Parts: sequence; C-alpha cells; structure tokens
Amino acid sequence: MNLSTILVISKKESLHEVIDCLNKQTGVDVHHSDPDTGRMIITQEAETIDDEVAGLKRLKKLPNIIYAEMVSHYFGEDKKNYAAVSQQDLDALDNGTSGPVPEYLND
Amino acid sequence: MSQTRREFLKSSAAASAAVAMGLPISQTVAAAAKEAEADWQWDKGVCRFCGTGCGIMLATKDGRVVATKGDPDAPVNRGLNCIKGYFNGKILYGKDRLTQPLLRMKNGKFDKQGQFQAVSWKRAFDEMEGQFRKTYNELGPHGVAIFGSGQYTIPEGYAAAKLMKAGFRSNNIDPNARHCMASAVVGFIQTFGIDEPAGNYDDIEYTDTVVTWGANMAECHPILWARVSDRRLSDDNVKVINLTTSSNQTSDIADEEIVFKPGTDLAIWNYLAREAIKRDAVNHDFVKKHCVFATGPYDIGYGMRGTSKYAYAAEKDTQARELEITLDKDEAIAQRKTAGEKVKQNHRSKAMKHWLISFEEFKKGVEPYTLDFVAQLSKGDQDESLQSHKQKLQALADVYLQKNRKVISFWTMGMNQHYRGSWVNEQAYMLHLLLGKQAQPGSGAFSLTGQPSACGTAREVGTFAHRLPADLVVFNPKHRARSEQLWKLPAKTLNPKVGSHITKIMRDLEDGKVKWAWVQVNNPFQATANANHWLKAARKMDNFIICSDPYPTISGKVADLILPTAMIFEKWGLYGNAERRTQAWRQQTNPPGEAMGDVWQILEFAKRFKLKDVWGDSAVPGLKAAGFEDGKLASVLADAEKMGYSPEDNLYDVLFATQENRKVSWPDNSVSKGHANHIAEKLADGWFPEKAMFNEYRQFGVGHQHDLAEFDTYYRDDVRGLRWPVVNGKETRWRFNEKYDPYVKKGEGISFYGKALKALPSGNLDGVTDKNKTKLAGKAKIFFRPYAAPPEQPDENYDLWMSTGRVLEHWHTGTMTQRVPELHRAVPNAQLFMHPDDAEKRGMVRNDVAVVESRRGKFKALIETQGRNSPPKGYTFIAFFDEAAFVNKVCLDATCPMSKETDFKKAAVKVYKA
Repeated sequence: MNLSTILVISKKESLHEVIDCLNKQTGVDVHHSDPDTGRMIITQEAETIDDEVAGLKRLKKLPNIIYAEMVSHYFGEDKKNYAAVSQQDLDALDNGTSGPVPEYLND
Repeated sequence: MSQTRREFLKSSAAASAAVAMGLPISQTVAAAAKEAEADWQWDKGVCRFCGTGCGIMLATKDGRVVATKGDPDAPVNRGLNCIKGYFNGKILYGKDRLTQPLLRMKNGKFDKQGQFQAVSWKRAFDEMEGQFRKTYNELGPHGVAIFGSGQYTIPEGYAAAKLMKAGFRSNNIDPNARHCMASAVVGFIQTFGIDEPAGNYDDIEYTDTVVTWGANMAECHPILWARVSDRRLSDDNVKVINLTTSSNQTSDIADEEIVFKPGTDLAIWNYLAREAIKRDAVNHDFVKKHCVFATGPYDIGYGMRGTSKYAYAAEKDTQARELEITLDKDEAIAQRKTAGEKVKQNHRSKAMKHWLISFEEFKKGVEPYTLDFVAQLSKGDQDESLQSHKQKLQALADVYLQKNRKVISFWTMGMNQHYRGSWVNEQAYMLHLLLGKQAQPGSGAFSLTGQPSACGTAREVGTFAHRLPADLVVFNPKHRARSEQLWKLPAKTLNPKVGSHITKIMRDLEDGKVKWAWVQVNNPFQATANANHWLKAARKMDNFIICSDPYPTISGKVADLILPTAMIFEKWGLYGNAERRTQAWRQQTNPPGEAMGDVWQILEFAKRFKLKDVWGDSAVPGLKAAGFEDGKLASVLADAEKMGYSPEDNLYDVLFATQENRKVSWPDNSVSKGHANHIAEKLADGWFPEKAMFNEYRQFGVGHQHDLAEFDTYYRDDVRGLRWPVVNGKETRWRFNEKYDPYVKKGEGISFYGKALKALPSGNLDGVTDKNKTKLAGKAKIFFRPYAAPPEQPDENYDLWMSTGRVLEHWHTGTMTQRVPELHRAVPNAQLFMHPDDAEKRGMVRNDVAVVESRRGKFKALIETQGRNSPPKGYTFIAFFDEAAFVNKVCLDATCPMSKETDFKKAAVKVYKA
C-alpha cells in the first residue's frame, strides 16, 4: 500500500464543491480544510507508486483546483518491486531468468 | 495492514501534513499525529532531482526508508513536494538495481565484443587499471576522460576533479552540467567577474513582476512556481509574463504569453534596451556608478566541428555554417551589415574576447531593434496578428521599464541551451543593469538550474575542463599556484591546458584522441546531441568505457565495464542549489549487494597509481603556456621528493587520505547520530572521507568570496542549508548589495566585486581601437550582443522546428523516475507535441506513431495534438526522458561557442507517419 498526503488549493468559493468532488475519487479522503484560504489536506491511498502519481495527476485536472502537490508519502508496506516496464515485459526481456546481468545489456 | 491501523495512519499523516502546511487543527489531533510515526526515525535530506533544492524528510524503520515528506522547515519548499517527490524513497529499491560489477567477457577474458558477466570489484579495478595504463602511456593525460555530473555530491565531484587534475594531471573531466548551465556561467563571469546569482528565491515574495524566458517553470520547477502563483494571487499589482516558443502550462497564470520564433529572444532583449533608452528609463546614476559597456566579435561560429570529415552526407550543409555563413536579411539589419554578405567565422577560437565601448556605441548597437523590426522577426505564432504581437512586446517593455516596479527575470534551458546562450544570458543582465534592477530584493535576473548540484558541485567545486574550485581556472598561473599550495602539490603539477568539454570528449572518442573514459553520475550516451556518432564511437573504436550507475542505462549498454553504484540516501552527501544554498544529508540505509558509492570507487582507483606512474614527463598535445615546454608536462617527481613525497607513494595517500584528513575520524561523534557510512567503513582507514574532503575543499573559498561553513554546520538540526558566502556563521541573501553582503565595503552601496575579466581594452562596435587595458574593479558589464540566426532552420526538406525539454513527471534521461529503458516496447511513451493542422497535413492524428527525422538520425514517437503543450504551427516539442524515443539521435550538436553548451532546442526535422 502507498499512502500520500496532498495539499489541495481551490478558490474559497468553490471549497465545498471541491471537497465533495475529491471525496468521490477512489482512495481519496479529505481530512482538513480551511475555508479562509481554500486549502485542504487530503490523503490518497493507492496500491503502487505509479497509481499514486497517476492519481495526483488526475486530481490536478479536476475542476476548480488551482493547486495540488504532495506533502508526504508513506510506502513502508508497499511490497511491489518496481521496474518501469511491466512484469510481463521484464520476464520477456530476461527470459524469465533473474540474475545480476540484465539481459538487455547484452542484446 | 489492519483497517484500524490504516485509518490511524491516514488520520495521523493528514494531521501531520496539516500542521506542516499551517492548516488549523486541534492540539489533540496534532498530538495524535506523532503516535503513528513513533517507531520511525526522521532525518533531513534533499530531493534527488532538479536544481530547486527542496528539503525533504526521510523516515527509516529497520534500516529501510519507509516514508518521505516535504520538510516543513525547508525555506525553499516549505513542506511541499512536486510529483517527482514520490520517487525519492522507494526509488532505492528497484528490481533492476545493479549489484555487482559487470565486465564484457569472452573465454574468461575482457573482450570489447563480449557479453557482460558479473565480476568481483578486484577484477573490475584490475581491468580498469590495465586499460588506463595502456591509454595513459600511449596518449598521455588527455587520452583519458571523465564524464562528470551536476548530480555529483560535493565530495564526489571534489574527489573526481582532484584525482584527474592533481593526480592524473588531466583536465579532461567535464560534467553533464555543461549541457544545462554553462551559458549561465559565462554570463555571470563575463558580466560580474564571479559565478552564480546575486539574488535568491526570496525574490519571488519581494517582487512585483515575474518574467519567464524559455522556462516552463510550472512543469520544470513546480515548487518555485507554487511560490510565484501564491505571490500572483495574493496581490493584484503583481504581473506574470511568459515568453516561450511554444504555449505551455506556465502561461496558465500569466497575464501575458508571448510566443516568439526560436532564437529571436536575442532581438527582443535588444528591443527592450532600445525602449529603455528611448523612454528615458535608464537608471543613469546606477549605470554610471556601477557599470561599463562592452561588446565582442559576432563571427564566432556555432560550436560544431570545424571539419566535415566525420559528418554524414546530410549533415554537411549545416556543418559548413561553422566556417562561413551568408547573412539573411534580419541578421543584416541586426548587425548593421548587408543581406547576402558572406561572413567567415574568424573568431571561433576567440569567442570570449570582448572590449569596452561607450554608451553612444551601445546605443548605436541597439538602434536597429525597433518595434517594427523585432515584432516581424520574433512573432512565433503564424496564427497571431502582427499587431497583437506588437502590443505584447510593448506591454513587456511597460512592465520592465516602469519606475519602481520590481522585476525578476527567470530562465532555464531556453536561454542556456542556445547557439548564443552566453550572449542571451548577458542580455538579461544588460537590461536589468540599465534599469538598476539588479542585486536588490525582488529585482534581478536569475538563472534557474536543472540539476541538484549543478551549482554546488559542477560549478563551485569546478568539475569542468577549465575550472578549479571556487572560480579558479586552470589557464591562470596564479590560480594553479594557489590550488597547488592548498593541495600540497609540487609547482607545475597542474596542467594549464583546458581539457575537452563534454561534447568534445564524445568527438575525441570518435577521433580516437580519448581511449579511456569513466562515466560518473550521468548518462551521456543518451544525453548528448547527435548521439548516433557517439554510440558508434563507443562500440566500434578501440577504447574502454566504464559506467558507474545504480541502474542499467544506454551509457551502461555501450560501456565495457559497469560499476554498481550507491544512490543518494545510501551515502553521505551535500548538494548546492540554484540560489547558492548548500544542503546536507546522512546515509540512511546501506546500498544493495556489492553496490558502492562513487567516492569509494574514486578512492579505490587512486590506490592503484604511484606518483612515479603519473607525475613524470608526459605529452599533452597542444599545450602552450608560459613556463611550460610546448606540448609537454615536465616531471615533478624531484620537487615532490623535496616536499617529502616518495615516487612509491600512491595517489590515495597523497591526495585523499593525507595526514591532515586522517585526523577527521570515523566513527564520528559529532554529526553521525548513529548513521552508518558504508564508504568509511569499507575503506576501514579510520577517517571520514566526506567530511575531511569537504573541509579541505572549503579552504579554497574562505576569504575569497565563496565562503562555505564547516561540514558540521550543515548537519545541525536547526540548519536547512545556507547560502554562500557564509561569513561569521551568517549566510548572504543578496550578493553585491552592502545591506546583505559582507564583501561589499561600507558606503559602496552596490559593488560588483567579482575579479575575473576586469581589465579590458577599448573600442567600438566593430573592434578594439585602444589596446591599453582599463581596470574595472567593482563594475558590471552591460554587453551589446546582436541577433544572429540559428545555424539550422526549417527548410523545404526538414520543415519543422524540434525542441526538446523536460516534462513534470520525468527527469532528464529517466533512469531514476523511469529507470528501465523501454527498448523493447513497440510504442514509445514519449509524445511529440505538434499543432493539429501540422499533424493533419501529414495525414496523422493524435496517438499515431510518427517518425521524426533530421539530418542526423530518426526516432519514433506518439503524436500529441492536445494537452498542456500547444506548439504553434511549424514547431514541435518532445521530452527527452524516454530511451525508446531517442531524441538525441536527431538533435544538432551545435553549442554556444563561448560556453560550449549544446542547443537542444533548435533542430530542423521532418515528421511522417510510421
């Protein structure tokens, strides 16, 4: 599991609308908000870092959001071993073998 | 994880973030926030990625990093991270981390055509040493090279530069930072006589106006952009203007977006200077007291090869412009010459030459840059009316020239990666100095950097082919003498001949002039323009290439030996960001497998060479300097013996583990707080190399305008980096300004005290008329630099511009944020942004796979006609993170002839459906 906290800023007049919209997003909870400044702290839970990144990018595009950036990121219980290509692609690359020499270096 | 624990963690993390961001929450909630993290150990760190230098906090548990957060006490980012922040922690634990040295082998022996096989460190160093000796004995000190980095930690860069310059007597070390800010350096040195900005990020909160020039800050410096946005939204008087060649996200909050034709920024700056004079907005008092006027030759070439010997047939027409050009009508007006005139590029090797001119001459220089001329030349969007573009240029002049309006100009690669990058940097200071809007809170021209320690290491430590620490240079005998004294070297150990810049090292590999090269903390075979040449040189020529890297990259793929390397939080380090802020972190966790830090690799390699191997007579072709025999470095062994060295001493003991440095002990009781140091522990010599080397290095700057604090200061809990010069424990926010800078004497107000290039002959716009030199202590130079056309422009065959750059989520060549090269993907990730009409004209729509082809090569990319980057017709943009879309095969390796920084922004290409 990955968990990040994100600062979101909206126009003050859109705050409630934005909160409703954020709470409908998968894995997202709005925890704190400040009606005086339009600022909110939300958490986003996602299986992988890639999902976290994609989620934040989605949030940035939601209506009336001026700003959304990450404050903290917890990944201590993320068991995934990351590589930029999918496991399937990696297996194809490495012919299913794992070892110190990535196969593609020798192709 | 149980639901209760998960919910508890969420609410605690949210409370902690709310506290950090200053949102109102109750004390009970705030107290609860700490409980969830009770068994985590937090420590301060610095983001691994761009040059902003955001402070981050890292939590470790059981020896692993489990969480990161923006450091609320960091003045740069005040608790926030951009998306790249997600990659600071878990990035250490990738599946494809390299954990053993890999050597190309056949039948148990090294073979350039062999396959990579895992070997021991001893075997790796044996081969590296043998190959080094072979080349060094054959070609001398400049037959070997290091591809260095703006991502080196300060101790890494220092160790690499000292080993090369003092140990191997070679100046062939140059960082990838050459590609990102060398033009800024020339701008600083030529204008102020000292490198790095006067101002700092605090200018954002003090200013009334932010003008971005070739800087998509919203995507590339998002945290600083957040500060700009805050400032813009908090005060209606604040204006933001974005000058760009392609509409981008930075324009979202801009009051004005000015789309200009590539290269015409040179003309726009001169238009603004002309307007300042015409509207009587010049701050004559400031100019008279603090500035002089200067200019230099125009016929300086484009930093390409001077021979067509290596050029592909298609490249030859572009390459020919290196030696001679035909002036087009705009250049003719801009340079007061005749259209069609052929101009030999006679000052290719003297591009840095400059001389004083009068204000009257300066006025004559900018006179042709009328609104009518500049507007028709610079209009970058053919769908925009000339009138509209004119109005925007006038509005730009209005904000710059408004009396008492504070202005900052920010730029990054658009101005630095430019065939006249040094000129255009100087033009930014030209305008700010004319207006007296420089070195004051909220006003100044500010070059943003792209890499985390481009300033702190590449520039300040001096890992360039011409530099020594603290702005000293190898071609200055006094500077060499001072370095030799501090490094306890015999006189004339240091080589006075400037080494090869990073692109030239590639050319040297192709020419066979360099046959041994070590890649450290960068990926030059992906990041250097005109890559087809260099890939072939690496694989087909007789040479030996070593690549130190945590992950497999293209540079690893073309190398002969790969050394598995520790990543940022697996070692101790310090970075210096774009606002002169030096920041430090401790090792948080051990590197995996047999991976080791760069400092250890450099020090271990140094152990293998005795003084008698490297300090004897050696040939350096082309060396010509007072006190040296032409083409030769004489032996310094006899002098070394007089200093108490033995020819049998090795470079590790002489340069690094010196008696002095061995007194700086490990284990450390002052700053380590129980953190490990895998390098000190593996060396097992009882010294703390990072601390000892940093404190040795800082001696170069103390009392010389580059003061850094002691190593331990940067590790204090209450310190989040300090902006140099740090004098009497106090950092300097605005340099050259008496109120803030201890180097400015009382009563001077402003003093541009940098010492370099401060005695000049005088002349007019066309050349020197009086060779007597005038001294310019305390003055800055206002340069006249003309518009010059790019060396390659779209034509009938290659009919589109192509510019490269970054996008938000990926960084540089993507080896850390993307990491595994996606060579086998059928469809690349990288998108070529182009105008929908241009796509349609070529029978393509969004998401089609297209071939992008230039005179130099081709690659495939996905067509994108929507989204955040909207190029005007005739213009395309692509990021360079994706190996599958190998952009640098297409880019032109023209460089600014002064800074040698490549122009990655202006290649002519054709695009067609794959």
